[in-house]
Amino acid sequence: MSFLELKDVSIGFGPVSNRYEVLQNVNLSIKENEFVAVIGFSGSGKSTLMNLLAGLEKPDKGEVLLRGQPITGPGPELGMMFQNYSLLPWMSVYENIDLAVRSARPEIARSERKDYIMHYISMVKLDHAPDKKPHELSGGMRQRASLARTLCIRPEVLLLDEPLSALDALTRSDLQDEILRIWGEDKKTVVMITNDVDEAVLMTDRIVPLTMGPAATLDTPFEVNMARPRDRYTLNNNQEFIRLKTDITSYMMGLSQEKKKAAAAKVPMPDIAPKDFSLPSKRLGFKNLQAVSPASSSKA
Amino acid sequence: MANKSIDTIKYGLLRIIDVSGFTIFDPVVRLLFGEEPAKQTSKILKYIVIPTIFLFVCIWLWASIAPTHKTKSGQVPTPSQVIETVETNYRQYEREQEKKTAFLTTGSERDAQIKAAKERLKSLEEESKAAQSELTKVEESSLTEIENNLAPFKKEIEAIAAKLKTLTSSAKTEQTALADAIAAGTAKPETLIQAIADFETQKEALTEKRSELNKQLTEAREDPDALKAARLRANAVANEIQHTNSVIDHYEKKNREYQVNELMTKADAAAALASSSKDPKDILKAAKDQVRNTKKIEDVQEREYAPTSTVFWHQIKRSIFTVFVGFVIAAVIAIPIGMMCGLNRIAMACFTPIISIFKPVSPVVWLLIFQIIVGAFFPDPENHPLFVLSSTLPFIQDLGVNPAMVFSACTVAMCAVWPALVNTALAVSSIEQDHLNVARVLKLGFFDRLFKIIIPSSLPLVFAGLRISLGVGWMVLIAAEALSSSDGLGKFVWDEYQNGSSFSFANIIMACFIVGIIGFFLDRLMICLQRLVSFDEDGATV
Ligand SMILES: Nc1ncnc2c1ncn2[C@@H]1O[C@H](COP(=O)(O)OP(=O)(O)OP(=O)(O)O)[C@@H](O)[C@H]1O
Ligand SMILES: [Mg+2]
Repeated sequence: MSFLELKDVSIGFGPVSNRYEVLQNVNLSIKENEFVAVIGFSGSGKSTLMNLLAGLEKPDKGEVLLRGQPITGPGPELGMMFQNYSLLPWMSVYENIDLAVRSARPEIARSERKDYIMHYISMVKLDHAPDKKPHELSGGMRQRASLARTLCIRPEVLLLDEPLSALDALTRSDLQDEILRIWGEDKKTVVMITNDVDEAVLMTDRIVPLTMGPAATLDTPFEVNMARPRDRYTLNNNQEFIRLKTDITSYMMGLSQEKKKAAAAKVPMPDIAPKDFSLPSKRLGFKNLQAVSPASSSKA
Repeated sequence: MANKSIDTIKYGLLRIIDVSGFTIFDPVVRLLFGEEPAKQTSKILKYIVIPTIFLFVCIWLWASIAPTHKTKSGQVPTPSQVIETVETNYRQYEREQEKKTAFLTTGSERDAQIKAAKERLKSLEEESKAAQSELTKVEESSLTEIENNLAPFKKEIEAIAAKLKTLTSSAKTEQTALADAIAAGTAKPETLIQAIADFETQKEALTEKRSELNKQLTEAREDPDALKAARLRANAVANEIQHTNSVIDHYEKKNREYQVNELMTKADAAAALASSSKDPKDILKAAKDQVRNTKKIEDVQEREYAPTSTVFWHQIKRSIFTVFVGFVIAAVIAIPIGMMCGLNRIAMACFTPIISIFKPVSPVVWLLIFQIIVGAFFPDPENHPLFVLSSTLPFIQDLGVNPAMVFSACTVAMCAVWPALVNTALAVSSIEQDHLNVARVLKLGFFDRLFKIIIPSSLPLVFAGLRISLGVGWMVLIAAEALSSSDGLGKFVWDEYQNGSSFSFANIIMACFIVGIIGFFLDRLMICLQRLVSFDEDGATV
């Protein structure tokens, strides 16, 4: 029985005249307490996929289900960490987290709230900067503040959009452990976007690759069947780890090469532009349009 | 350690300069603290010295061009004349203050002051005598001087008149002789015509010269500078004497304590009369008188000083108060409506036609409309609760709130509402989607969404709009006051324009500067506020 599910989901942006299909026929089924990574090239539609899971976007076709029920909208049970952090710039780190705690976890008493918030702030190692405004923070510090804000809600599903991409190796591994611990202790379901294959293999149960856009879709997932806890220091010698890493890397390389080949080796198509009945003065404009269309460029 | 505290002072100062927007003084502060002297000096030279020189050039241009243009209300005032009027206005203000203290002084202090004032008066009178005798002397000497100056012109004019006479008579005889000769056939008609034409040109040249001389005569008749100065001095002393007399008057008969005492002695006399009298009718009358007297005494005790002339300072205060009231009304209307428009497309569609039609309407039209509408609310302004209330509030009571002020403020509000409204709507509708997404994920309620997300994120733009509104309001107010005769800077300008005394043009120019300077400070104030609410490093553009 799947916990979180995407069924034949398609989504695109723009008006009909200038439509850009981002995802097409995406199917994904995530079990409860599963840790899934999504990898894919920049601009392929990973964040869009996350927005769908968080209920921030509605699919054009298909449906997004949580426990078999369609997701009607965003909420604190689907804890989203945004790729661009989305910290509120007029609030300090503390206030940003405080707002989240107050509204998503109202059961925490006023007297305990401060300790609760400070716990998450020190978890992401921002003890020295709780009163700083986002514009006074470095990129990595903002990312950590945003992570703390998402974690403090304690959502059932954690949706992390490149949560650690701006951090140095040491902080990064600490926070990886922290996320893993939360996931293990609280029995969370986690979907994480990452562009670091090592990180994906180290942390997750399953790695789902997204093909290149437009109209991207999820390809066959790579199962990570390695015992936990996984030790990042001995991992480099682990046969399974090496195999997965090479598989995934070569798959991704293949994707990008396929794309290049597809662009280069397009079968020449007959020119089937409609007969031009427009007035001669307009003809020029039409010809110009044709010149930039892919059909005519492949002909050359 | 010492270094550190100096640094704190330095950066504190720099921060104040930065926030208040007087960044041009930044290099001066840095230079004072010895930071990179060469760099700072070059900055001072470029951004302070050269602009100052430029300003002086502008003032010099003004000073040299102004006197060449003569207008109906006299010459265009030069900078020095404007400064003079500032001094005059300030003196007037000081005098009113002096009279006010005189009115309120009590006890032995009053006696001492009266004595001092009388002594001053005595010395002034002596001074006046001296000035007067000086004046007569100068007048006499300048009379002969003027006569001497005039004599050559008069002589010349007489000579020309004589010349004209002889010319006319000789021409007449010549012409008749010629005419006779033509009749006799000994001369040609052309010679006569030539002779007449010659005569005319000669006559014309002479009359022209005469009128030129007359003009010079009137110029020479003008009083010499020494006489003018003596007259001014005598006038000034006479003026001062009059003022001192008035001050003494305020210490004596017009003094509040004096008036109270006066009434009290009267009341005591009446009471004594009543107790000694045996006639019940008299007793009744005396008792009634007593009641009336106590009431009168109370009235006088509470009386405030009534200035004889409205002082410029009063007008400035009143204008600032009016613009503030109008601005607050505008903000209170604009911000909620703007938020509504920003949040809701239907509201925006509802308000768009109203905004687009009324925004371009001239303030003058609004003034007239409000004059009619507001006027109807105050059929009896003397007893209307609003004005009665305003006359009891501290600070506001001196300003004299009246219907004219109310509709000036309404006009200001009407014109200032649009920039604030449009900006607020824009601010709210352009909140970043990311921030709204946070609100959606956290499922914030309406009020949290409003106060935690929408208002803070739109504040900088809202304040930018308010800043424009205040600027517009201040401009509109001056025009509204001029037209509505609501006491204030605008009315001051209008009155000066109407009365057309020798000082009024300079007064208008002075008012122009004051309006500008106040407007500048209001703007700075708004910039400071805007900076306080903006959340990015350099959110506010200066
Ligand atoms: N609101 C939108 N309107 C129009 N196009 C959009 C919108 N959001 C995303 N897109 C388009 O969808 C595509 C995928 O965007 P998305 O942000 O999901 O990429 P991504 O995989 O997260 O990339 P990255 O790794 O750089 O974050 C992009 O081509 C983008 O231009
Ligand atoms: Mg993304």
